[in-house]
Amino acid sequence: MTAVRLEGITKSFGSHRAVDALSLRVAKGSIYGFIGPNGSGKTTTLRMILNIIRPDSGSVEVLGETRSRAANDRVGYLPEERGLYRKMTVRRVASYYAGLKGMPRREARAETDVWLKRLELADWADRKVETLSKGMQQKLQFISTVLSGPELVILDEPFSGLDPVNLEVLRDAILDLRSRGTTIIFSTHDMAKAEEMCDALCMIFRGRKVLDGTLAEIHAREGTDVIRVETAGGVAALQAIPGVSDVRDLGRAQELRYATDPQELLRALVDRGEVRRFEIARPSLHDIFLRIAGPEASEGAA
Amino acid sequence: MNSKVLRVARNEYLNTVRTKAFIISVIVMPLFMGGSVVVQAFLHDRKDLTDRRVAVVDRTGRLFERLATAADGRNDKAIWSEEGAVREQTDARWLLESASDDEAALSDRVRADELFAYVIIPPNVIEAPGKAAVAYHTNTPTYEGLPRWLGNLLNEEIRRERFAAANLDQDTVERLVLRVPLRKFGLVEMTAEGVVKEAEEVNEIANFAVPLGAMMLLFLLVMMAGPMLLNNVLEEKMQRISEVLISSVSPFELFLGKLVGTVFVSWTLAVLYLGGVAFLAHRFEFAHLIPGSLYLWFAFFHLAALFIFGSIFSGLGAACSELRDAQAMMMPAMVIVMIPMFTWVAVIQAPDSTFSTALSLFPPATPFIMLVRLAVPPGPAAWEIIAAVVLTIAFSVACVWAASRIFRVGVLSQGQAPSFRKLFGWIFAD
Repeated sequence: MTAVRLEGITKSFGSHRAVDALSLRVAKGSIYGFIGPNGSGKTTTLRMILNIIRPDSGSVEVLGETRSRAANDRVGYLPEERGLYRKMTVRRVASYYAGLKGMPRREARAETDVWLKRLELADWADRKVETLSKGMQQKLQFISTVLSGPELVILDEPFSGLDPVNLEVLRDAILDLRSRGTTIIFSTHDMAKAEEMCDALCMIFRGRKVLDGTLAEIHAREGTDVIRVETAGGVAALQAIPGVSDVRDLGRAQELRYATDPQELLRALVDRGEVRRFEIARPSLHDIFLRIAGPEASEGAA
Repeated sequence: MNSKVLRVARNEYLNTVRTKAFIISVIVMPLFMGGSVVVQAFLHDRKDLTDRRVAVVDRTGRLFERLATAADGRNDKAIWSEEGAVREQTDARWLLESASDDEAALSDRVRADELFAYVIIPPNVIEAPGKAAVAYHTNTPTYEGLPRWLGNLLNEEIRRERFAAANLDQDTVERLVLRVPLRKFGLVEMTAEGVVKEAEEVNEIANFAVPLGAMMLLFLLVMMAGPMLLNNVLEEKMQRISEVLISSVSPFELFLGKLVGTVFVSWTLAVLYLGGVAFLAHRFEFAHLIPGSLYLWFAFFHLAALFIFGSIFSGLGAACSELRDAQAMMMPAMVIVMIPMFTWVAVIQAPDSTFSTALSLFPPATPFIMLVRLAVPPGPAAWEIIAAVVLTIAFSVACVWAASRIFRVGVLSQGQAPSFRKLFGWIFAD
């Protein structure tokens, strides 16, 4: 069952091609991640899924609907930058946004109270939005997105600006939505977060899809050639060892790729001094992204 | 109407009428207008009662005594509110003294505040009509009451002297030269029964105040609604609220909802103000000066003006990303709104002139100018009214359509404000 199907969509703004011949399928009930550095075309793609903007070419199918905006009432959207009326009360904002999705007013009010309580904002229900902290506003924006019970939820950078406590609250809420059958698409440039939460993901770079599939498929494709080591010699101990490449200094430990048998590397390191840790690992999404996109992408990819 | 449009409109309405700015504007404007009357009345009773001393150099040698007597009479009676022990002074005393003919010394006394003014009456002022003038010297030329009183009094006394010298009876002459008044009337009408209905006398105040008041109120309501809508649209865009809304409603629904919400806000103000006018008209018995049909025409042109200028301002707000850009783009629209302000005098004076007729059929100005023409009896010809209604409706629809097209593109655009050429491109873009 497919919640979203994109077939060769392309979108240009003037001479800049923001999205280039992008095709993908998002399975119903899954968490699907859009990853890539800032300016890679994630938000433009999400806006095309929402029919906020139309692709120059290609087709978009959302929840079985190919007509423009036909499925929008069944889709919740949390934009990258918060869009809340600062002078309205918390309860009114949430109810209003749910009302625009076609939710009856009385039902929206009742559901608002449930969600405010759940995300620990009940005490702020009658306060103006401008009195909330950034994290609270983010939670309110999330509530406004999911209040009407959409089948598909699109979250653009949902975790940006959140402290660890609120981040966990929001993550749990997203996972709970998934467990209730909601399809979730979220974009992020935080690859660790994507790796942690997503069932499948799509990596976009300069408007083009560079990676797509479930995490298992991606890892199977990319192999296990990453080695994490912690030695007394640090980065210096890794120099001039044949076959070692892409060394990343993580502080006390280092991460690297090794072309041949890892046992040979271990022997070489032992010869150079004390080895405290030696771990053969799968490459992180970040590593995979850097391999695909090249070093010029590293600045945008956190 | 689409339920989403109504939801947006309801939200727009509530967000506006709950603001302090709205509540203040509702209360302050009548207070401001009524308050100025109260303040004037208050100030009227708070005149400066300082004595004004005036030196009179009477070169005729025949007038000073009579002037001094008249001034004493005034100081004893005319400047007091009531007779007896409880009487209260309401105006300053004017004290006249006869002075020698030394203008330099008199000027110094005025500078030293010993005198308020001095007057030079030339020797031939009685015998040479039209050839001599009385000179009034002061450091306070804006104080009008004293020289006016003095001028009237002098003329009265000089005329008396001239009539006596010519051996004519002043009362007879003045009765003979009394002006015949000219009163203005409308036209007589023949009733269905063939009875001639007498023409009504033209009420100058009503013919001027009613059309001007109606146009000013309409102008005020449009000026409050248009820029307010522009600010609201721009603010939602700057705060990224538009993006959230557009994920739920179409740009046209959002545009129309905001426009309808603003119409209701403006109607609220109109009902309050017109209700106030109707109450005062009834209370002070001038309701007959405001025909009932004028309220209906006001409602129609008010709605049309809101759709025309609300659309324009809303489109401009959506096209800009910064307040500064929006204010710059607002200027041409403001010039159009100001057309009635520049032309109302000519229209009221000659409501049926070619200029007035043409201007009242120029759609951006029609709501204001046609309202003025309708308020001045007997009003424009039927074909002009029909043409104005048709043109206004057509122009309103065109404005809503064009602005919604601009809104659709502009509301999601960021960065520099587009040129007017680009805006026109947005109207016809796919």
